[in-house]
This record gives sequence, C-alpha cells and structure tokens, in this order.
Amino acid sequence: MTWRIASQLALSGLSVGSIYAIVALSLAIPFKASRVLNFAQGELVTLGAYIALVLTSYGLPYAVMVPATLLIAAASGLLIERLVVRPIIGAPEFTLVIATFALGLIIRALIRIHWQDNVFFLPAPYAGPALAVGPLRVNPSYLVIIASTGILTALLVLFFQRTKLGKAMRAVSFDPTAARMMGIRVNTVFGSAWALSAAIGALAGLLLAPVIGINPELGHLIIKALIAAVIGGFGSLGGAIFGGLLLGVLETYTGALFGAALKEIIPFAILIAILLVRPQGLWGATPARV
Amino acid sequence: MRAHRIIIVIVAAFAVAVPILGSSYQIYLVELILINIVAAIGLNLLTGNCGQISLCHASLMAIGAYTTALLTTRFAITYALALPAGVFVTTLLGASLGYPARRLSGLYLALVTLGFLEVVSIAIEEFSDLTGGVRGLKLEKPELAGFPLHTAGLYYFVLAVAIIAIRAGLGLRHSRYGRAFDAVRQSVIVAQALAIPPGRTKLLAFSIAAAFAGLAGGLFTAVVGFIDPTEFDISASLRQITFIAVGGLGSVWGSVIGSVILTLLPEALRGADEYSDVLYGAILLAALVLAPTGIVGLFAPVFRRLGGGKAQLS
Repeated sequence: MTWRIASQLALSGLSVGSIYAIVALSLAIPFKASRVLNFAQGELVTLGAYIALVLTSYGLPYAVMVPATLLIAAASGLLIERLVVRPIIGAPEFTLVIATFALGLIIRALIRIHWQDNVFFLPAPYAGPALAVGPLRVNPSYLVIIASTGILTALLVLFFQRTKLGKAMRAVSFDPTAARMMGIRVNTVFGSAWALSAAIGALAGLLLAPVIGINPELGHLIIKALIAAVIGGFGSLGGAIFGGLLLGVLETYTGALFGAALKEIIPFAILIAILLVRPQGLWGATPARV
Repeated sequence: MRAHRIIIVIVAAFAVAVPILGSSYQIYLVELILINIVAAIGLNLLTGNCGQISLCHASLMAIGAYTTALLTTRFAITYALALPAGVFVTTLLGASLGYPARRLSGLYLALVTLGFLEVVSIAIEEFSDLTGGVRGLKLEKPELAGFPLHTAGLYYFVLAVAIIAIRAGLGLRHSRYGRAFDAVRQSVIVAQALAIPPGRTKLLAFSIAAAFAGLAGGLFTAVVGFIDPTEFDISASLRQITFIAVGGLGSVWGSVIGSVILTLLPEALRGADEYSDVLYGAILLAALVLAPTGIVGLFAPVFRRLGGGKAQLS
C-alpha cells in the first residue's frame, strides 16, 4: 500500500468516522443528563434528513433550510422528552431501553408508510466533482462532513464550558438532586439535552443525505454510533468523538485490506472485546459490571 | 372443578377442534400463535424472571430455523431429527452468547445482544450459498419418521410441542432454577447470600431461552415453509418483547396471553398491514408506560377469584 492510497483511505475513514462521532455525541448528551440511552436516535437522524427533504421541496434555499431543519428537529426532541422519556425516568433499565426502541420502530414505520423504500437525494450546494488536493482526490462532501464535526465539537466545548445552560447540564449529570437544590430546573435541562441531541442527530442526517441518499434505513448507523460510544466510554463527549473516528478509520482500512465481509464483522468484534475486557470504554470511568 | 380448570378445558377443546372446523388459513394462524407462545415463554424466563434484556431472541429463533431447514433440505435428514438438532445448536450458541454476557447487565447487555443480532443477520446474508441470503430459503413439507405431515398432522404436532413447552415453562418457573432466576433479577447480592451463583444462573437462563427460541424456529420452518432474514430482524425481537411486556413479565401465562392477543390483533385489523409495526410499537410503549405489569398484572384480582390462586399468575 502506497502512502497515497493510505492517506486517501485515512481521509474517507475520517469522514465516515466523523458521522459516527456526531451520532455518538448526540447519544452521549441526553445519556449524560438523564441516564437514558436513546435507541431511537438513529431514527432522529433519518427524521432530520426527511425534514430537510420536505423543506427543500417547498423551495427553501439551502441556507434557510438547514437552520429550519435543526429547529424542527430540536422541537421534536423536546416533544419526545416530554411525552415518552419523562414519564419513565427512573424506571428499570429494561423499560428505558425497550421504550426508546419502540419509539424508533414507530418513527421508522411511519416514514416508510409515507415515503416507501424510495431513495431520495438532497441537493447540497457544496456537492460536486472530486477536488484535487495535492496528490489526493477528495469528495467535497467528505470535507464538509469532517469540517462540520470539528466546528460542532468546538461549539459544544464552548457550550459546556461557558454558557449557563451548558454548565447546568454538567451539574445535573453530576448529581441531579444537588443541582435541583442549587436552583437548577432539572426538567428544563433534560428537555434542552434532548432538543440539542435531536438537532445534532438531524445534522448527521443533513450531512449524510447528499452522500448516501435518504431512505428509511438511514438510521441503521446508530449501531455503529453505539459501538463508537462503547469504545470511547458512555457519557464521555471526548470519548464519543475519539471512538467514532477510530471506528471509521479501522473499518475503512479493514475493508480495503481484508474485504467487505470482515469490514462488516470488525465493529462487532471490537464491541464484544471491549465489553469483555474494558466495559467502561477506553476513555470512560463508569464500570459496567454488576 | 375450579373456574380456571373450566377455562383450560374450553381452550383445549377449541385448540383440538381447529383443524376440523377451521379453514387452512385459520389453522395456519393458530400454528403461528403456538410458535409465538413457545418463543415468548423462553424470552420471558430470561427477561421477565432472570431480568436480562435480550434483543436477539429473534436471531436465536433464526438459528433454530436455519439449522432445521438446512439439515432437512441439504442433508436430507428427517425432520424428527433435524428439529432437536436445531434446538441443540441454538442452545449451544445461546450459551456461548450467555457466557460473556453473564457479567454484563442493563444497557451493556442490550448492546451485546444487539451486536449478536447484527452478526447473525450479516452471517445469513454473507453465506448466501448455504442460506439463500436475502432471497430466502424454500422448504419441502416436513415428514416425521417416514410419514409426510399434512395440514392436520402438522397442526397437532405443533400443538403437542407447544403444550409440552408450556408445561416445561411452568415446571421451570416453579423449580429451584426458576426461583433462582427471580432472585438474581431482584438482587444479585441477596442471591449470592443465598448461595445462588448469579453467573451460572444467568448462563442457564440464556441457554434455556435459546432452547425455546430454537424450538420455535424449527417449528416455524415447518409451518411457514419459507424463511428469510427479514423474519428474524430487530422488529421480530421487539415483537416478542411486546408479547411478554403486554402479557405480563415473569409469567408463563402472560407469555401465552400476550402471544395470542398480539398475533391475532393484526389479523383483526387486516387491510392495515403497513401499520402493523406502528401498532406494535405503540402497544409496547403504552404497555411499558401505562401498565408495566401487563395483562396478567392488571387482571390479577380476576384470575385470583377464578380460583387459581397465586400459582395461576405464574
């Protein structure tokens, strides 16, 4: 393998990994706040892509459509938190896992009823022929994905370090009871965490749509995001990004070196190995064992 | 004769009369109910009693179905041997999943079983020369010891197996193992203090659940005559979870009631096929949020008045 091929692969691995990282981030935020892992997050990615599709069909220009999509997605996250999650907070883990799964099933089935299994392509202003960057050929969509992940990470760091709401979220995740006694509205924080997470999920949908097309199974990538979250350790935002990028790069190299079958299997091998050897993830600190 | 005995006699008489009075489609439907009952009982012992989340019950059923199907079609082994072989292979794979999974709980267990589900579906699609991949696998009608099973014969065979499975489920539920499952679910520490090894108990629960799933899969091949990976995907796992969550977690009769109602429900709403996933999801969500004890829990006072006492709810 020459250096050129190796770096070409690294680039596409990083862009795939960036998508995993974004979805893993969107899983980690509500998990950190409310200890609920949203198994319907994949469907929120799908939903984001379809919202964008509908808005585009109304003739909204891309620059207006993107923020509108994120806002609608955030509202739907708020709605889900209020209607589904809040009544079962504190319930046994079985209930939490299965309830979010059921929610995902409903969203996916509704999308499939309306749009069937057709694949739609979302036009994006940046999509176009591959660019030549030095000796490499780069799909501009990949560059946008990687850049968006970087910007999103920076914004989240600012949000959690500098803003009142971000600090409140960290306080709630540390100790909800103490946070409530300090005058933090815990329910508002839960709601905002879910809204933020839904918006980030929709962003992943927006970024994916021009690359692989919109279809009801788009959300299936949640499995990869979950594995990324396991690699990084649950609830760790840095871990989510690290896990996502690592998984994307590993997957791409495995595919190139050993073929597609192994590429499909490798994420699960990693998942099982990590859960057996180091269940708290390579990054996190919470033990998973009883 | 107590009231609950009378109910059982009526249901049994009805079950026996189905092939005589019912159309071939109605017979098929009751067979599906019976298969779902077998699968649900296994899942309920693992999830309801032992408290272990499993999202891969459908893939264990797939392993049973594919093993039975491949042995009968590719190796010309009689169904009477292929079915137990399928159960054996599934139990073995269930145990090999349970071995690493016995140390995990909650979320992490959900992830491992979800991973297992994905790996099984990838394996079915990758080895398409053997399994038919996404195109599926078509099967001959099964024969038992040289006699081809026709509609009525197959029906009574499935019915007999389902009754044995219910008996076995009830027996297990009240054996020391069943009580050990309950102890592990309620508190691992208390279980240990009572000299119940949590790891081994969970491993046993995984193996038993797999055996029931494998049996259901083997029956499914014979009844439906065609299997493909979509029959055993995550929606199928969630459907089985719906059976036990709606019927009643930790109760054998809950598994039975849930399977009967939820297999019939989409039939009652025919013409709305595409809405079946929405329906199942909504029912599951409603059951979890509004009635966590399931139908058996909701109607517990009624059951008790019928004379079954507490055992009736098991």
